[in-house]
Amino acid sequence: MHIRSLLYFFGEALKSILRNGWMSLASIAVVAITLLILGSFMVLNRNVNEITQHIKEDIQIVLYVEDEAPEEVQLELQQKLVAHPEMQEVRFVSKSEAMERLIDRLGDQAHLVEYYMNEESNPLRHSYELRTRVPEDVPQVAQELETYAGVDYVDYGSGVVEPLFQFTGVVRWVGFLFMGGLALTAVFLISHTIRLTVYIRRKEIMIMKYVGATEWFIRWPFIFEGLILGFVGSLIPLFIIQQGYQSAVMWMQENIYFISMLHPEAVMDDLVKTLIPLGMILGVLGSGISVRRFLKV
Amino acid sequence: MIEIYHLYKQYGSESEGTALKDISLVIDRGEFVFIVGPSGAGKSTLMKLFMREIVPTRGSIKIFGRDITKLKNRQVPFLRRNIGMVFQDFRLLSDRNIFDNVAFALQVIGTPKREIRKRVPTVLEMVGLKDKALKKPDELSGGEQQRVSVARALVNRPAVLMADEPTGNLDPQTSAGIMDLFHEINIRGTTVIVATHAKEQVDRMQKRVVILEGGCLVSDQERGVYSNAY
Repeated sequence: MHIRSLLYFFGEALKSILRNGWMSLASIAVVAITLLILGSFMVLNRNVNEITQHIKEDIQIVLYVEDEAPEEVQLELQQKLVAHPEMQEVRFVSKSEAMERLIDRLGDQAHLVEYYMNEESNPLRHSYELRTRVPEDVPQVAQELETYAGVDYVDYGSGVVEPLFQFTGVVRWVGFLFMGGLALTAVFLISHTIRLTVYIRRKEIMIMKYVGATEWFIRWPFIFEGLILGFVGSLIPLFIIQQGYQSAVMWMQENIYFISMLHPEAVMDDLVKTLIPLGMILGVLGSGISVRRFLKV
Repeated sequence: MIEIYHLYKQYGSESEGTALKDISLVIDRGEFVFIVGPSGAGKSTLMKLFMREIVPTRGSIKIFGRDITKLKNRQVPFLRRNIGMVFQDFRLLSDRNIFDNVAFALQVIGTPKREIRKRVPTVLEMVGLKDKALKKPDELSGGEQQRVSVARALVNRPAVLMADEPTGNLDPQTSAGIMDLFHEINIRGTTVIVATHAKEQVDRMQKRVVILEGGCLVSDQERGVYSNAY
């Protein structure tokens, strides 16, 4: 595109925005409100994901080795665990280490287990603490491990893990649907608002067609207009969310300190990268849809 | 320059009637042609076909040696740059002054500013509005507004100037002034085609007259008159 045309389109877009001041404000407001809801939901969704991710990462399988299992069976078991394709971390906990942990946990009451402390009387078992690459695979892998020779039993917090995965799955899908719905609503609203500014300028468009302006020449100023409205409209929610999120993080730190929220800078960085292009895309889509109708002269 | 062969145009279904029936017509470079006839005769349909606003049901329209019925949509703007169009309702932009209204036709086809500053005053002088360049359209009389619209149609130096009922909203005296302007433009070498039902103007001008009636071409006379036909 020629620089002269570019300046012309940009100038025309600005003129149109100023000429239709109220309508432009309405378009900006629509973009701003939509992106504010969308952005807030994104922040919420990211934090929920972060928290559930932490919980997920803590999920591990504990495999207890059969006490009477011969040494070669135990060795074969260890080799099989290490070679398992889904396994990320395999940690052996000997019965004496398990006892040390128990003593640690009991603290002052450690004398209660004093009798069981030596190798022979220790009733605990060797075990493996295992983490899978994909936390969601835990139940399935655990079931498989139960069939291995030398395994006494396998524990992975069943009954807690499945509902958690179900919940995070639902949160993610609802989030996607909600955000998709909002984006569609935004395009619809913006296209209707910009359609009014296009309608006001229909005479101009008609003259342009009669004097031989190409369709793209007519379209560009409106596209620029949508781009500018979308850009300005995305700055407002960014500012509001930044202020709001910072206060929320501070409040959480003071009141509910055990839930750690994502750092504001990390969240805003992502949000800027998403909302500004999204606002501009929404603006362009909206104006593009509107101007199409009036190009048929 | 313009050749039409066996042109038919029908809007909607056959029962709704045919706007143009079997029209054949040749207009040479530099001619001045009136297309006349009562309302609904098909004058405006013919003008719309020339501008490639609509396409014919049958037949061909050659302009500058090219069949415009076969043009792709994206080629249409380049056809229109060679045809200046004047309308009954002037179609001026009320929020811009006269200079900007005329300059608009050049801006939207990407003419450099320097060229615009040179051409607009020249064309405004030609239509007799040089000293009204900074006025808004609603500060001008109807006749003056139509002159602005003629200036806008001419500023791109088209080979053909077409006018659809250009005096429909003007009194007889002002109409005569506009027709004289068309005559002057024609003398300078531009082909002029005027669709009108202003009998007295047509008769006074003594130009070629093509009469349409009910979508058919009923008469085509050099130095013709309109009044005697009825």
